[in-house]
Amino acid sequence: MEQHRLDAFQVIADPSRRQILHLLSKDSLTINSLAENFDMSRPAVSKHIKVLYNAGFISIQDIGRERHCILKQDGFNELHEWLAYYDAFWGSKLKKLETLLNDKLNKK
Amino acid sequence: MAKFIQHQLFYPHPPEIVWEYLTDPELMALWLMKSEFRPVVGHEFQFRTKPIADLDFDGVFYCEVLEVVPFKRLSYSWRFGPGDARPLNNSIVNWTLTEKDNGTELLLVHNGFEKEVYMLPIFGSMEEGWLKNMHKIQQLLNTTTNGTAPA
Repeated sequence: MEQHRLDAFQVIADPSRRQILHLLSKDSLTINSLAENFDMSRPAVSKHIKVLYNAGFISIQDIGRERHCILKQDGFNELHEWLAYYDAFWGSKLKKLETLLNDKLNKK
Repeated sequence: MAKFIQHQLFYPHPPEIVWEYLTDPELMALWLMKSEFRPVVGHEFQFRTKPIADLDFDGVFYCEVLEVVPFKRLSYSWRFGPGDARPLNNSIVNWTLTEKDNGTELLLVHNGFEKEVYMLPIFGSMEEGWLKNMHKIQQLLNTTTNGTAPA
């Protein structure tokens, strides 16, 4: 169990998890076929998959006896929200700076 | 797809004046946030803003001054997270001042978010939205440089 739900940046900060996302961006894969791409044990791979699943980066579908991992948009949305936040944040701060500087100019 | 945040504005003031507003804590508080900033490499300081529950953000930006080239360049690390001593996300805020047309072109680049994030193919699907954003910035920029900045 994850003690805390990791945020999107923390989730993708791990190289193995980024590689899993890269692999899944090409095709959906079973947990077993994903594990073949890594030197680590299958339980270790499963743990990363669980983190990705909890953060909304992938969904898991049971087809027959296999568990298939599929890329999901939700987790990526959180990253996008952060970037959108900072974009708006700096936009508004720089506007404020502009107003201040303009006032300064007008007072001269 | 933008791999970082970038804003460029023109201010009809010499770089020395713009620099003051970027580095004097009292002036910074007027437009950015309160802090105990000092333009000294290695100096650590914090900015505080409102926490954002949706983004699991506690409202504190943890910064360290990385580069100071008076009137030209300034950069500091910009780390943020959910609080509770949990790991912080990395990023870097870079300011570049260029003297131009009796004023200063100020370039802000906020980058260094966890590496390679934006290389993931799925980010391609967001390209359109970001292009729109960049166009908006471009428009703002143009009105700004024409000296008729919207209120």
